Amino acid sequence: MHIPDGFLSTPVWGAFDVLAIPSFGILARRARRDTDDRGIPLMGVMGAFIFAAQMINFPVGPGTSGHLVGGTLLAITLGPAPAAIVMTAILAIQALVFQDGGILALGANVFNMAIVGVLAGYAPYRLLKNSSGIFIGGTVSVLVSGCFAVAELMISGVPMPAKVLWLTLAFFVVNAVVEGAITVGAVRAIGRLNPAWVPSAKPGGRLLAAVASIAIVLAVAGFLIASTHPDGIEILARAQTPKWLHAWFPDYQVHGISSPWLRRSVAGLAGLILIYAVCMAAGRWVRQRSA
Amino acid sequence: MHHVVVESWSRRASPLHARDARAKLGALLVFLIAVSTTAPESQTAFALYSALLLMAILFARLPITALLRRALLVLPFSATFGLITWLGGNPMRAVSLGEKSFLSGLAALLLVATTPLAELMRGLESLRVPRSLLLVIEFVYRYLFVISEQAQHMRLAARSRGSSFRASAGALGVLFTRSWERADGIYYAMLARGFNGRFPSFTAGRFVIADAAFLIVASGAAIAVRVVM
Repeated sequence: MHIPDGFLSTPVWGAFDVLAIPSFGILARRARRDTDDRGIPLMGVMGAFIFAAQMINFPVGPGTSGHLVGGTLLAITLGPAPAAIVMTAILAIQALVFQDGGILALGANVFNMAIVGVLAGYAPYRLLKNSSGIFIGGTVSVLVSGCFAVAELMISGVPMPAKVLWLTLAFFVVNAVVEGAITVGAVRAIGRLNPAWVPSAKPGGRLLAAVASIAIVLAVAGFLIASTHPDGIEILARAQTPKWLHAWFPDYQVHGISSPWLRRSVAGLAGLILIYAVCMAAGRWVRQRSA
Repeated sequence: MHHVVVESWSRRASPLHARDARAKLGALLVFLIAVSTTAPESQTAFALYSALLLMAILFARLPITALLRRALLVLPFSATFGLITWLGGNPMRAVSLGEKSFLSGLAALLLVATTPLAELMRGLESLRVPRSLLLVIEFVYRYLFVISEQAQHMRLAARSRGSSFRASAGALGVLFTRSWERADGIYYAMLARGFNGRFPSFTAGRFVIADAAFLIVASGAAIAVRVVM
């Protein structure tokens, strides 16, 4: 689900670009701390591997096949922060060279797949540290990325009738389960080939992973519910009539701030930023407690 | 493989190829924002945006049909969601979604078709994009083709043995291990050539008056279309 340019409304892509930059900065700093100077070539080559791995088809059911997405496999093998950087690099190349995903929408795509997707895929593995953790990780990773992408499209005003939404979600669930199975299969195969190889599970405590998993589940659920129930959000939007917004997007005053999708997207994003802030605060609190 | 085409396009010579990567990046961003904020109904604006891009393609002396065909890569996504919008009872918006995503894709393609990736990275570094990300992008791009070729051979081998989920997982494991070993090999090769843990800095070229002029004219045209239409 690489969102191209033109589909997200201005406040949505703008907000996600703004959101993705500091998140990426934090992860990049963490990656520098966790890797030595062979890190850059390793991350680069493994990124090329993820690209190439999409050519290997996995037969699932009659006549259909799936392929690896890779966020969880990277998080397990390189660690979550380097994995997020590799996924960001892949998304940037896909947007620039392969016209797969937009440039303005890069922030949203990075947020969906490289940040939330990777962290959501890593947390269950970190908690369980076994095959079922890997399976759940792969599944959750794809599911969460997909849900975020759909929610972003919906708050941007792309209509999504209930039937289409359920169909899309069903499609995501199938893809997600396939990703989980492929990730487990790949990790097993890697383990057979390299008996001495130990998946990375360095940084972050179990408690942190638990908080992260809960936060991600809450955020996705909240975001999806919020975008399917615009009425509820519109009440929220009216309650906090944002004066600062008029200053930020003066352009929209001309065309009328009364357009429902704009109010919806503002409210949805306010909610998302709130959840994000709470997650960050909770994470910091947990880290201070465990330090 | 088809991406090599863009690589060879980017090494040609033309007035557009000669411009600094930063000027082209700036113009691209302005153009994308103009397209993104255009109202779905203003079809004249979309026609003028297309005219601007066609003019840029002519200036870049690139094959028009091949370029347009490549930009069609955005279609699978746009067509799906365009159709949903159409069925949702908003055909005008559906058409504009398709137009916006195609024009944006074509504009981005024009940037990479006139700027070698290394130069683009240099421009991005001087615009304060984190170096670690740019270095990883360069490594990914450099080894993309090598490892993809390996993957194609393995796919062929796996197919000729009859496909199964387990066999594919095995192939993926082998590809992973080979890539990991390749990364080690690359690192040792770098050490052998005197790598001391620091990557050489990308140095950006000079931003000359012609670059500034291009930036002003190209963004001015996009803004004019956006404001007037």
